[in-house]
Amino acid sequence: MRFELISCEVLFREMCDSVARSQHQINVRFLSKGLHDLGGSGMRRQLQQHIDDSPDCDAILLGYALCGNGLHGLEARRTPLVMPRAHDCIALLMGSRDAHAAYFESNPGTYFRSTGWLERGKTLQQLSSGAQMGSESLPALIERYGEDNGRYLYEEFTRYRQHYQQLTYIETGLEPNRSFEEQARTEAGERGWRFSKTTGSLGLFRQLVNGDWPEADFLIVPPGSRAVASYDHQVIRCEGDTP
Amino acid sequence: MADLRTLHDAILEGNAKQAAALTQEALAEGLAPLDIIQQAMVPAMDEVGRRFECEEYFVPELLLSARAMKAALEPVRPLLVASGIQPAGRVVIGTVKGDLHDIGKNLVAALLEGGGFEVIDLGADVPAQKFVEAVQSSGAGIVALSALLTVTMPSMKSTIEALDHAGVRSRVKVIVGGAPVTQQFADQIGADGYSENATAAVALARRLSQPA
Repeated sequence: MRFELISCEVLFREMCDSVARSQHQINVRFLSKGLHDLGGSGMRRQLQQHIDDSPDCDAILLGYALCGNGLHGLEARRTPLVMPRAHDCIALLMGSRDAHAAYFESNPGTYFRSTGWLERGKTLQQLSSGAQMGSESLPALIERYGEDNGRYLYEEFTRYRQHYQQLTYIETGLEPNRSFEEQARTEAGERGWRFSKTTGSLGLFRQLVNGDWPEADFLIVPPGSRAVASYDHQVIRCEGDTP
Repeated sequence: MADLRTLHDAILEGNAKQAAALTQEALAEGLAPLDIIQQAMVPAMDEVGRRFECEEYFVPELLLSARAMKAALEPVRPLLVASGIQPAGRVVIGTVKGDLHDIGKNLVAALLEGGGFEVIDLGADVPAQKFVEAVQSSGAGIVALSALLTVTMPSMKSTIEALDHAGVRSRVKVIVGGAPVTQQFADQIGADGYSENATAAVALARRLSQPA
């Protein structure tokens, strides 16, 4: 079969590895992690555009989770859409939303890193409407807003760090060496957080590109329907017919 | 003569020190606190809201203007209390259990204060029971819940249920917000109001504070 994979660049290595091993023919498009900065509806609009621009194929695969409602409202036009049921990419990297939920529960205040987050995602902003919050660095804020206001904004933008106590590196087994883990360990030290490492899984990536889509873990949106957030364990569901 | 236009502009431009100094000056010259609020502060914050809606202002500018508004209100507040003027309403605000994000919540809290509300900020990762206790002890009329993760949005529902079980749900209006939250979700969990952004949250709180 022929698939079109549209994925967040944060999952670059996991997707490339899985695509290379798939028996199917897959076109791949990686989109900027900056899509998340646009907020749910802004992200959805851009994703929809990419979906609508896709060539004919058997299914369009989305290398995303619900991502702050960035998938909420996406429509399948001529081709089915397939997406994993998960709230965010941490669940994808951990192999299931249950694994993520269990980790979330037993390790409150944890910040996550993976190869993609380390090499591509470090500057992701906390607020979606931060289109003008280009940089969180103190000198940049002072230059732009003056000494007093710059310092105030820096405090506001970095205050969330006080709520975190731990940085967990998710190791998927694709790492070429220990450099990613070391980067994560260094970052934890710089921020004064405990460092931890957990073993991730490539299972959901493999299933996505292999066409192995059990209903419990994947949503298939048939042409004419759309994906909407379900706010329950299913995470996302199909809704109605679209014109 | 105190220059209320300059005070207005100081708030609009996020100049907290100047805003505080100009308010002191205006009070020293005998201007009525309510006149200062109505002629300079409220129009300034309305303009901030307008610029945000038009995407001329973004989160940093909102934070700075809210901070300047707060600084300007500081010397006025005790005078309002002394003359028996009630706040626009009392709001208990917090980010729900499991969610550590607080910029959005802080922004709404600052804008509500700027809008004349008394704000009881419970912080981030707030268990439902803490909201219940805050409502019971403060007599607040509004509970504002924030969530930035779809995975923590169900905590909004359980917080509303906790208010219900404690028998205080009918006493308060619950408003919800945060990047992934939608009107549809707000309706689904039985919230009284939803706001898409921080400036609209103030208008929503005002609307819900009106006696029925």
